[in-house]
Amino acid sequence: MSEQDKKEKNIILQMKHIVKYYGALAANDDINLTLHEGEILAVIGENGAGKTTLMKTLYGLEHPTSGEIVLRGEPLHLKSAAQAISHGIGMVQQHFMLFDPFTVAENIVYGREPKKGLFFDIKAANETVAALSKQYELPLNPTDRIEGMPVGLRQRVEIMKVLYQNADIIIFDEPTAVLTPQEVRELLKTMKNLAKAGKSIIIITHKLNEVMEVADRAMVMRMGKHIADVDIADTSIEELSMMMVGRKLIDKTIETIPAGEDVLKVDDLFLQGGGSVPIIDHLSMHVAKGEIVGIAGVSGNGQSELSQVLLGLRRADSGSITVCGQDIFNKKVRQVRETGVAMIPEDRYLWGSAREATISETAMMGHYRRPTLSKNGILYTKKLRNFAQNLVDEFGVKTDNIQLKTGSLSGGNAQKLIAAREIRQHTPLLIACEPTRGVDIGAMEFIHDRLIEKRSNGDAVLLISSELTEIMKLSDRIYVMYDGKINGEFTRENVNEEDLGLLMMGGKKE
Amino acid sequence: MNIDANYLAVVFNSTIRMTTPILFVALGSALCNRVFIFNIGLEGMMLTGAFAAIVANFYTHSVLASIVAAMVASMLVAWVAGIFMVKFKGAMLVVGVSINTLMGGLTTFLMQLVFHVQGAYVSSDLVSLPKINVNFLGNSHVLKTMFGSLTWLDLFAFVAAILLYFHLFRTVTGFRMRSVGINKPAAESLGIKADRIQILTVVFSGLLSGLGGCLLSMGGVTMFAQNMTAGRGFIAMAAATLGAANPLGVVVSSAFFGFAQSMANMLQNSSISSQLTMALPYFATVVALAIFNYVKIRNKRRQLSA
Repeated sequence: MSEQDKKEKNIILQMKHIVKYYGALAANDDINLTLHEGEILAVIGENGAGKTTLMKTLYGLEHPTSGEIVLRGEPLHLKSAAQAISHGIGMVQQHFMLFDPFTVAENIVYGREPKKGLFFDIKAANETVAALSKQYELPLNPTDRIEGMPVGLRQRVEIMKVLYQNADIIIFDEPTAVLTPQEVRELLKTMKNLAKAGKSIIIITHKLNEVMEVADRAMVMRMGKHIADVDIADTSIEELSMMMVGRKLIDKTIETIPAGEDVLKVDDLFLQGGGSVPIIDHLSMHVAKGEIVGIAGVSGNGQSELSQVLLGLRRADSGSITVCGQDIFNKKVRQVRETGVAMIPEDRYLWGSAREATISETAMMGHYRRPTLSKNGILYTKKLRNFAQNLVDEFGVKTDNIQLKTGSLSGGNAQKLIAAREIRQHTPLLIACEPTRGVDIGAMEFIHDRLIEKRSNGDAVLLISSELTEIMKLSDRIYVMYDGKINGEFTRENVNEEDLGLLMMGGKKE
Repeated sequence: MNIDANYLAVVFNSTIRMTTPILFVALGSALCNRVFIFNIGLEGMMLTGAFAAIVANFYTHSVLASIVAAMVASMLVAWVAGIFMVKFKGAMLVVGVSINTLMGGLTTFLMQLVFHVQGAYVSSDLVSLPKINVNFLGNSHVLKTMFGSLTWLDLFAFVAAILLYFHLFRTVTGFRMRSVGINKPAAESLGIKADRIQILTVVFSGLLSGLGGCLLSMGGVTMFAQNMTAGRGFIAMAAATLGAANPLGVVVSSAFFGFAQSMANMLQNSSISSQLTMALPYFATVVALAIFNYVKIRNKRRQLSA
């Protein structure tokens, strides 16, 4: 019996000719998926490719317009997630669904609690969880509370939840988006172990290096269509990305240019915040002309607050900040911006736009005061509209009409619009916080190119991002932020992911 | 006014009688808090219970029928409130205030319709809740004063607190109730019908409020007076908060307010102006909540600095 025949025998799940329409839009257009026992299948594609819709269909959250699901040879009609769970299909959610004040065991047994007479048998729950934890080599203390747990452990609880439900098919939805490199490595190892233990795994992702490392096969989707099924052994990152995007991405080497004088200088910045541990703890840094400086770090280590202090959204306690030699410490946002600072904020709705405003209004925010666009408080509406239309066209924001509400844009498109607006401020300093959060690979590449272009024009860019690949790709210099402090610095030449991850977790460079 | 054992026994007894109506409602409020429902309509539900009890009493002269009527009427009102708050996602504050206003008006109107009186209805035809016979306590006068003239419903308030404590923290349904209050989407993602749990909890809080109302109108002097709850529903909400939504904690905080209420009543006989003494329970509520929040904030700060 050849290898091929053996595999055929072990098909556990088939999705056949799945079609799903949302109105006139085909989110899934005749998709076929085959999953074998004990294999890791990567479903890859850009945002909007239809991966999530397909997985929601498999998990009973969406109902296909047509097509069928066959599980172990039997057709399956799923009406709810609970039904999927009872058929052994589990999903590790991207956004954790945990109860913070409850213990690990309580979270895991939730919905299928062991009982002793009338009462919840917490002892049995703890024992079961401890046994599972041992069986799958996923160390967890059943009686720990979720509160205060690092993201990696929380995800482990989510995985255990699925295992406790006795799932044979486990779907991971973008599982590495929020993890540090060390945690990613742990997770990939866990997935391999689970596959070895006979579980069949589907991982939705667009991170191709992880796909190459962990998956056996990949299914590529693009714009709702099934593009290809490939064995990982026979493919490469380049081929996969070409299939995903539909064109070849040019892997440009970014030429380094000599850094000029400092644009941004931060000296001994201190912000206490509400707690007893300072949020920003005597932080000093600088960004020079012709430089992209990245700030890497696990979110919640003071990066957000730093960006807010820099733009004047939040007051710091002491220190000094200068831009182009001018003091902007604790100045008002308008003064700071007029000194020459623009910012792509990390939360596109909280700080970056008004959902209820039109797209053209969002595009003109911060620009309308220019003498060419308004005079004596009267807006030149036509010019402004042209200006907005140009931004939308240039950055490829997908919309029918710029008079629609900003909230009507998809997250990725709203992000593009805000990035366009801030990059086109043409300020000496751009602070880019998570500039490509939620945008697809094509748009990401475009925004990255604009950032590099800005730098090459002799401006300074401060890049704050939790995406390590983004930081490593773009930055000429990298600061690692941990606990409100700079915990190490790299240059493009001497950076590697290993060291970066270590410093992000609070370790020290040898 | 000389303070002796007998006087203290009277204060103790009056405190219990003032506590139990609040306790019932506070337990309901605590349960609502646990499922993340801010049920401000408890005042109206309690009033409904007090009224329905007297109406049933008027027609049937049966204690049991009165209690059942109080529970059912309040549950119906609570069910409406629950549907509006959970299913139609109405603003909880608005729904609650509407319930209070509506029931305040409706009971006054129906009182005139049913009893043909204004302000208050008292009649010797009405039956009271049966009192617990305290003869088993022996000959001690003090003990008899302490526990005299209490009804079985008073006793049940404390039993209910204990039962609810076990339900909330030891049973699976209690566990799921708490989980809905902590993270509703997560509960739903695991196939729990969170909306239903929330509505049922509101309905159950209505049942408890009905009992509280019944105790109010039939526990001491059996009567119904216009707006006779007089803010007890709100005091109960404060008690639920002070008791950290823990049924046993709620017993303590309710007792505190019961004590304040009983002091207010006792001081009416003193030279202090009665307007001032009647304000005591409400004043105590404000002070207690302020202190509670101060301590909570301070502890949080300490926790952060630890």
